[in-house]
Amino acid sequence: MRSELFAQAQQALDEMLGAGFAHAQVSVSVSEQEELNVMHNEPSLLRSTEDHELSLTGIIDSRRATMALTDLNTSALKSAVAELFERAGNAPRDDANVVSTGEKGHYEQGPLEGDMDLLALKVEELLEFRAQQTPLMQIEECAATHRVVRECVLTSGGTELSCVIGCYDLSVFGAATDGEKTSSFNYTGGVANDLSGAHASELFGIGNMMVETEKQIETQTIPGNFVGDIILAPTAIMDMLGWLLNQVLDHSLISDLSIYRDCVGTEIANERLTVQSRFDGPGHAPYSADACTTPALTLVQNGRLNYLLPSLYGSLKTGIKHTPSSSGWLIEPGETTRAELIAGMNRGALVNRLSMGAPGPNGDFSGVIKNSFLIEDGLQGHALSETMIAGNMASMLNDIVGVSEEHLDLGGQDFPWIRIANLNFS
Amino acid sequence: MGTIHAPSGVDYSEARQHELRKTRIVMVDGDLTANSETTEGGSSARVFNKGYWGFASTPAMDESGARKVAKKAVENANIMCRFGDQPKLVMPSESHVGEYGFNGRPPLGQKETIELLENLQALCKVKYPRLKSTSFMLMQEGHEKRIATSNGSDGLSTTHRAAFYIFFSAEDKNGRPVRLAETFSGRGSLADLQLSVDLLEPKMDELHRHLQAKCNAVAPRGGEQTVIISPALAGMLAHEAMGHPCEADSVLGGAATANLVGKPVASELVTMVDLAHSYNGEELMVPVYIDDEGTEAKDVTLIEDGILKSFMTNRESAAKLGIAASGNARAYTFNDEPLIRMRNTAILPGTSKLEDMIAGIEDGYYLMHTGNGQADSTTEFMFGIQLGYEIKNGKLGNAITDTTVSGTAINMLKTVDAVSDDMYWECNGYCGKKQPMVVSLGGPALRAQIHLGGE
Repeated sequence: MRSELFAQAQQALDEMLGAGFAHAQVSVSVSEQEELNVMHNEPSLLRSTEDHELSLTGIIDSRRATMALTDLNTSALKSAVAELFERAGNAPRDDANVVSTGEKGHYEQGPLEGDMDLLALKVEELLEFRAQQTPLMQIEECAATHRVVRECVLTSGGTELSCVIGCYDLSVFGAATDGEKTSSFNYTGGVANDLSGAHASELFGIGNMMVETEKQIETQTIPGNFVGDIILAPTAIMDMLGWLLNQVLDHSLISDLSIYRDCVGTEIANERLTVQSRFDGPGHAPYSADACTTPALTLVQNGRLNYLLPSLYGSLKTGIKHTPSSSGWLIEPGETTRAELIAGMNRGALVNRLSMGAPGPNGDFSGVIKNSFLIEDGLQGHALSETMIAGNMASMLNDIVGVSEEHLDLGGQDFPWIRIANLNFS
Repeated sequence: MGTIHAPSGVDYSEARQHELRKTRIVMVDGDLTANSETTEGGSSARVFNKGYWGFASTPAMDESGARKVAKKAVENANIMCRFGDQPKLVMPSESHVGEYGFNGRPPLGQKETIELLENLQALCKVKYPRLKSTSFMLMQEGHEKRIATSNGSDGLSTTHRAAFYIFFSAEDKNGRPVRLAETFSGRGSLADLQLSVDLLEPKMDELHRHLQAKCNAVAPRGGEQTVIISPALAGMLAHEAMGHPCEADSVLGGAATANLVGKPVASELVTMVDLAHSYNGEELMVPVYIDDEGTEAKDVTLIEDGILKSFMTNRESAAKLGIAASGNARAYTFNDEPLIRMRNTAILPGTSKLEDMIAGIEDGYYLMHTGNGQADSTTEFMFGIQLGYEIKNGKLGNAITDTTVSGTAINMLKTVDAVSDDMYWECNGYCGKKQPMVVSLGGPALRAQIHLGGE
């Protein structure tokens, strides 16, 4: 299969260079997925999918265009290359349009064959856990999945990257009900190379989520407006980290909207925060969309920003040093227990989910805290409803006052619980 | 697309051929940062047998591909029988035959499209020199689906949607970046939006005025406030706040709406519908005549004069709830199974005038543009507000900083005391629910009490 993909990619690259492109990037991928679905607490659907993708990026006279198609036949390739040539020719010149050169690597990870018995076992374990431990939890959707992706990426600059990546996913979504009362919906899930090492309820915090969701059927509001602390659970941390990543990636850098444009080497967060890459996490190959290998990096070290992360294009556009990146992040756990984080709080909330619009480039945000609990006088209290918090993402990074030693590994993300001060509650 | 056949020998089955073509062009400060075209197509089959579903898909659109997925889908349903016997479920058996194409304007050439963006960029540079950044994004997508079911449905359906986004960024009085966007969307391709510099210049002037106001914005007061929800926001409210909780899979999953049919959930001024394809005799932005289960698509009245009336269904949920299948089963790509999705969801217009509604507020807010929203099983909702103004003594005042509004729909909609006679539709963005989906949203302006995030 690997040599077949390489041959198809090489054929596409030859076709593009033969058509007159000065530079080209080609990727060919074949993926398969088996997905066992639960709906409304019952096994419901087995879904098997195959997908192909031929992706072509062509540059001529510093003008670039991209096409992707599912049809891998030679006639479809020839037709796509001809259309792409016309599309690239119509684009404006931009000297930042380049392809990667000399990147080499082959990556294999995870199970390449799915185990249907294992998927069925995990579903049975979850349904048994629900029936025995959380009978009020209504699993609206659950999916146990095996997927495998085989890909080959070539560029006219001599880059040859390929991967064969298999992995399992397990996710649960639902709400708890008691008579006519219902909780907010809740969900969690993750990616792993093996699901057999633990009971399904112990994977990705699924059992804990189901137990907590039952506690969220009865909710209360927080009276009055006040300034307090929050403990951001791992399931909510990506909202804050996602904003930070947007600040250091292409769009914000190219449009000069990043507030961290000139902050490499300076402290942008409390010293308790260290953010590391996990580009080789389950389900991922460590290379970027523009065909550059992505070595591990520490984005933020004890609060200090180490890198901006422009792509090849973004780097040439902005003059900022190119640092290849992909998806997958880890925040280093701290030395405080989660219980100690809670015990140290006067008034605030344990926030499991933030429901909000995307924060603006300046970091201001407000959002509804969901699946969340009041914390008062160092104790976790009742579940909350209709509670909003407002603040600023950049300020939140500086207002971190504690990081838990416990952490939740979701495969592509591995985060602890983080306590943050000075949020406006209303 | 040729004739296809649903797998036989099972309780129910469907076969689908599905091609999706998408274009995306992004220009940031004059640089073309995205210039892509995607074409994906394939065959899928789904069967229901002995109480279980099996689905299979492949990127091939020929006969051998169809045979392969039919066989695999049947096998998958049989594999599910390992979980034991299921009670028999008799699904609605109505079938529908029809072909629903789209005849839009000839597609806009890529050269013309990029020239338009370059001309807009040049105009912005001259007219708005203090802008820190200007971005334009064009997206269009076209779906063509052939559907056949074992109970006799046979249909061709098409969905074509185009959207154009303008993003302006500037610095506020403290040197912090402030961003604002305007969108244009509609049925068809970019050619059908009939975009031109002449059409867009006054819109960009208006966006620039709002951005300047936002650069001097004040923070809104947090808590319960009297607000005017603009027509552009009311559609989002309809979709998020009551649309999702009225999808039958959410209802069966325990949504708060499950026990509220026949009960008041809104002011009697509020009527809300999920329209299949037409309104007032005109075809809507996302017309669905036959869904991906071969059901003829029908309008669903969700709320009538404040009373919750019914839910959006597919064949399975209709059987479980004992109501009709409404034709809301839709799949995004050939690899996706049909899910219950909204089509054109709207709060219907009333009789009030927007100016009078604003004039009637002593101290409140006018909420104009939203970014995104989210719903909940409890009918609690939120959406981000990117543009809004204070209302003081019946007149618009300062712009407000980015904020979020939230509430519980079945409480908040009861506070609606005026509904304008406007009607605004849009179909930009995607609804997310396992798969993305193109939907349209519509509404008039509403006056209500709502929870505003702020200091």
